Amino acid sequence: MRTLRNLQGPALTLALLCALWLIVIVGLLALKPSVFNLGTVTTILQFSTILALVGLGQGMVILAGGTGIDLSVGGAVSLSAIIALLSLKLGLPPVLLPAVCILTGAMLGALNGLLVNGLALLPFIATLGTFFVYSGVALAVTGGAAQSGVPGWLLVWGRGVVAGIPVPFLTLAIPCFALAGLALMATAWGRWIYAMGFNERSARLVGIPVDRVRFILYALSGALAGAAGLVSLAWLGSGRPNIGQNLELESLTAAMLGGIAITGGRGGVGGVFAAVLLLVTLKTGLLQLNINTVWQVGIVGALLVFVLLADRLSQRWRS
Amino acid sequence: MSAVRQSGSGVFSMNGREWSLLVACLLAIAIFSVASPHYATQGNAVTVLRNSIELLLIGLGMTLLLAMGGVDVSIGIVMGLAAIAIGRILGADGSPFVALVAGPLVGALLGCVTAAVVVLGRVPAIVGTLGLLGVYRTAVFALLGGQWLSGLPSSLNDLLATTVLGIPVPALVIAVAYLIVWLALRRTPYGLHLLAIGNSEEKARLSGIPVIKVRFLTFVISGVLTGIAATFYVATYRNVETSIGSTSALDAIAAVILGGTSILGGRCSLLGTVLGVLLLRILQNGLLLIGVPSLWQPVVTGVLIIGVLGFEAVSNRLPLTRFQRAPA
Repeated sequence: MRTLRNLQGPALTLALLCALWLIVIVGLLALKPSVFNLGTVTTILQFSTILALVGLGQGMVILAGGTGIDLSVGGAVSLSAIIALLSLKLGLPPVLLPAVCILTGAMLGALNGLLVNGLALLPFIATLGTFFVYSGVALAVTGGAAQSGVPGWLLVWGRGVVAGIPVPFLTLAIPCFALAGLALMATAWGRWIYAMGFNERSARLVGIPVDRVRFILYALSGALAGAAGLVSLAWLGSGRPNIGQNLELESLTAAMLGGIAITGGRGGVGGVFAAVLLLVTLKTGLLQLNINTVWQVGIVGALLVFVLLADRLSQRWRS
Repeated sequence: MSAVRQSGSGVFSMNGREWSLLVACLLAIAIFSVASPHYATQGNAVTVLRNSIELLLIGLGMTLLLAMGGVDVSIGIVMGLAAIAIGRILGADGSPFVALVAGPLVGALLGCVTAAVVVLGRVPAIVGTLGLLGVYRTAVFALLGGQWLSGLPSSLNDLLATTVLGIPVPALVIAVAYLIVWLALRRTPYGLHLLAIGNSEEKARLSGIPVIKVRFLTFVISGVLTGIAATFYVATYRNVETSIGSTSALDAIAAVILGGTSILGGRCSLLGTVLGVLLLRILQNGLLLIGVPSLWQPVVTGVLIIGVLGFEAVSNRLPLTRFQRAPA
């Protein structure tokens, strides 16, 4: 008990998340022992890839403070996948598909950054607006129909499995998290992000280029959403205009659950990674128990509210 | 300062923003009348007004929330839950008068839940209500069991489709709601406190304003107005669909922002919201009639929000720099 009390910040978050994760797994095993085999693990990691990429961008934007939030991530995932596929139909060489997908996402994110930085709009209003624009355009352009035409070699990457681990998870999600964690811990940019999240005014006074960092983070969040769109294409083999549905809620929950403070400046990406695995395990488990998918959004939402309230309560206890 | 000046104006006195909204409405009507032969008919005008009823009521509450620096993205689904409660009472052949009370009551209860999370839990409104949105959506699905609640008796409609002294009941209810909210905002300490919190919650707290009480009350007021909106919804359509209210929150936020209420706080226009709702509904209806698929509607609404705010940001900046350059 004393060791648990001595744990602080990220270590405490990770310990609690692991405990929660074990509870979920034990609970599922008790309800349905056949749930967990290698196939389920692969499925969980496959689902995790998309949420991990989006959650990483969301987490970084929130970490930088200034009431930062990116509600448009789900729309950016859908729209970048759709735009990439449609430009393929307009004669783009298939080799460029991954680049176009990620670049489109980066541009959608940069638009958010421009609205938040250049026009000084409140992040939640600006990205709420772009969320409806992005997801709406993705739906309206396709008429809601899934788009085909994903090249075969992309499917090989997207559906490949090495030792039970999906290739996109291995080659995209893990490197992205490792790079982000390294950048946050060991580079000046990473420390700047914490500094401006903790106290923006003093960050400006010591000469940190707050606006530039924030713009880049929004663009990065968009680029990661584009990468998530690419994973969805490579895995599902088609571009679904509603693939990003509910991702804004799930990525927020992952970031909050992962120990990132909603006010910024506190938390790390390791927690987000653990939170993504926990969330997807929970969702997959519920799916295996034949519980209707509409319950997922409610459970994720309840989890978000619970985490936020628990964070406030624990702060009150400490002070 | 601005709050004090605004409190001197009358119920329907209009500022520049509201005049330009009115002009925009008339302009849109003129353009659509030329573009589509089905537009300028009495039936269509009634449709547009009919479709505005719920959004007008929800918009009044959203105006208060945004002026206070809050927001509620779950408000559309709150309307859905209230509508389900009303529908269940009507479906069980309950008295329409019980049904009339049920809407505002459920709205107030859910407003209390939202306020408990956001105000008492001190959670940012956007994140807290987004979480509740997920919970409420699942609740709607669970309560409806994936089916529409349909074929409800017309007893509520018989009650609300009548006229009193030649004025339709919905118009009367909206006018009364508008008047009450206007009086609360401009003639009571509550209104001043609300605008002060919108300007700076910290300063409001330090100057002794009961911040928690005012914020809690505002979420409940918004819930009650949404419950009334749900009553009109059920009375008119006599069914509750699973996707009820999915765009209401966005539409309401767009209408409030169009109306000139500042989300940075301290500036608030109820008449602007009313005109914003009408403009939004005129645009949505007109675009549909000239053949734009309804899938584009959220895109148009989102572009309106960003466009209006972006235009405000740019135009606020220009005079300021000119003013600063001018010699004293």
